[in-house]
Amino acid sequence: MTAVHQFVPALLPRDATGDHTRALRDALRAEGWDSDIYVEAAHDELSHEATYFEEYPGRARPGDVLLYQLGTSSPVADFLLGRPEPLVLDYHNVTPASFYDGWEAHTADKVALAREQVAALAPRAVLGIADSAFNAAELADLGCPATEVVPILVDLDTTAPAADPDERARLSARHGDATVLLFVGRISPNKSHERLVAALWCYRRLYDPAARLHLVGPAVTPDYAAAVFAYADELGLADAVVHGEGLTAAELAAWYEDADVFVCLSRHEGFCIPLLESMRAGTPIVALDAGAVGETLADAGLLLPTDRPGTVAAAVDRVRRDPHLAGRLATAGRRRLGDFAATTTTARFVEVLGGVAGRAPVPA
Amino acid sequence: MPTSPPTPSSDTPEVPGSSPAAAPDDVAASTPDDVAASTPDAGGVADTTDDVAARVRYLDEVMAEIDAEVRRRRASGDLPAGLEAELDELFLEFSPVGLQGRARLRETLALVDGSAYVDIAVPTASNMAVGAYVKRLIRKGLGWYMNFVVAQIVKFAWSVSRMFHVVVDHIEDLEAAVETHRSPDLPLEVVPTPGAAWWAGAAVDALVGVTDRVLVADCGDGALVDALGAAGLDAYGVDPSDLVLEPALARGLDVRAEGTVAHLEVVAAEALGAVVLTGSVQWLRPNERERLLDLVGTRLAVGGRLVLHSTTPEGWAASVPPVVRDLAPGRPLHAETWEHLLGTRGFAVAAPVRGGTDRSLARVGTGTADADTVNAAIDALNQLLPGPTEYLVVATRER
Repeated sequence: MTAVHQFVPALLPRDATGDHTRALRDALRAEGWDSDIYVEAAHDELSHEATYFEEYPGRARPGDVLLYQLGTSSPVADFLLGRPEPLVLDYHNVTPASFYDGWEAHTADKVALAREQVAALAPRAVLGIADSAFNAAELADLGCPATEVVPILVDLDTTAPAADPDERARLSARHGDATVLLFVGRISPNKSHERLVAALWCYRRLYDPAARLHLVGPAVTPDYAAAVFAYADELGLADAVVHGEGLTAAELAAWYEDADVFVCLSRHEGFCIPLLESMRAGTPIVALDAGAVGETLADAGLLLPTDRPGTVAAAVDRVRRDPHLAGRLATAGRRRLGDFAATTTTARFVEVLGGVAGRAPVPA
Repeated sequence: MPTSPPTPSSDTPEVPGSSPAAAPDDVAASTPDDVAASTPDAGGVADTTDDVAARVRYLDEVMAEIDAEVRRRRASGDLPAGLEAELDELFLEFSPVGLQGRARLRETLALVDGSAYVDIAVPTASNMAVGAYVKRLIRKGLGWYMNFVVAQIVKFAWSVSRMFHVVVDHIEDLEAAVETHRSPDLPLEVVPTPGAAWWAGAAVDALVGVTDRVLVADCGDGALVDALGAAGLDAYGVDPSDLVLEPALARGLDVRAEGTVAHLEVVAAEALGAVVLTGSVQWLRPNERERLLDLVGTRLAVGGRLVLHSTTPEGWAASVPPVVRDLAPGRPLHAETWEHLLGTRGFAVAAPVRGGTDRSLARVGTGTADADTVNAAIDALNQLLPGPTEYLVVATRER
């Protein structure tokens, strides 16, 4: 039986790549295909769903296709380079090392290694699947012979439950009528949190002195996070910049719904799932046009050509004082979200992988 | 203004737009007519169809209004040009990226020194009286052991710290020695002023469509920053000379007294839409040139443009005083060399535009006697004289 087996460095719960990998496995199995997950490491919760990657050779069968979920460096990449089976890359992008220069040498080394592995794997692959045209262009530049754009599998109906009413009430009580800007994403230099703080400072100076910035996400680059919060403190924004971390899905939904505007000033994004989460919550989006952000957002938000604080502040103000615009953006967000429906994406994956595996493509 | 990307049409049913009084959550409850009737300033596009062009046009109008608002705020003084630069500089105070050279070494050394002392006086406070007693007992009981171990750890840490101090002192001595071998600064008058140059128009043309910030290196009096701003680009400049920047500062331009390399070192990766290099790029030492190109290659976003103005070595030799020719730390390169250097760094390079001072001789009128003979001689001389020696290289970062 033809099989598509997935390889992923780490299989984690409540993680975009982990959820994507498991959803794809389920979709392939539903098509009657053989599909297992091989990992370098798995969270305890999911260890029963994964097999250590070095055990694959003992289970290999003729006709197998290997699909690598590529988003970080791993010995799995070197392992796959030595395998004879057709290799498909599912590329989620790797942040360029230059973003970590001066901040975190070991992370810079890690992502540089990951990029070297992408460069080695791309020409070896029979197909590169990318979340965005931005990612696909990188694969093509690295010599990948064929690429297809298929978004990451995100089932927001399942993974984003209704907002926690208690959390919503708690947030609302803290800020009252003040404007709330929100960004969700790990605190890392490529996400430009300091630009968000600068934009808040300008917004308070020009439009709403009580405005607040809510930042949700783990501080994965501690020195950078410390610098961002020290910067906010120096600007007199210590109480206005609020950090949320370790939230449940329902609490996160409450933070989205509580916000007036979702602001993304990331310099490098391969897809940006928080944009979809914001669309789902109906929170209007203001975002810098960088990386794949413009592609994911399309017309479902204000796409800024610059992250200059004055411009960001003016855009937030425009959304804030123009309910018609906010409504249109929310409407466009819901429309755009339909393009990423899990059923559509699943069918597309099966179609694309079916072509590689020599199976009859399944109509999308 | 940039055009928002088109949205793929979708089969997802359209949700009606909101009324001005409605919160986003209430969108579905409002009618399209409410929207069009109550928000004439918003573009007047009824959200009743999947008309992609209309939606894009509406967002373009909104973006144009936001742009106008920013310009108005800047003109009124609410948002001074230097304010955003100050915000950038303030963040650098908290960033290791902002510390350069000796300051960075010394700060790191201070961290090492601060970490080299190990305190064995373990806190014994406790919420319970008996807890504090037990903790004190343990501390006292283990004190002799901890003292012995910690004394060795501290000794080792201080030895390491001492070694770093020696290394840093040695580096600073070397830097001071190198400093004495620096070339003298070049006279300002030999550095071209960008805005007044023949290539300013071509530079503006090459950057049309760039939406992110444009850095003009060695911006001088800011004429090119002005020209780029007038073309709708978000331009700012740097120049190492305070004196040269005065006219630009007087006009309220966003210009900063910094060297190009020093500035690029603290700019975030992929933060720039374009960089214009001129002036001192001609006198860079090879290692400085490599550093500059490395920085430009990472600070430009993918798809970002580099505009480089320079002159040929022959033209440069003919145009600068002998003292400058002799003492300049580096020499200009031919356009073909820049094309090669940029090509190896992932740039797509367009054919260079040539111009500037034309040193060839003009032919005489045909009405004079011996005109043909004289013109033949002039043609022969022009074969020997350099023609336009300046050039403009436009390159796009592809990866």
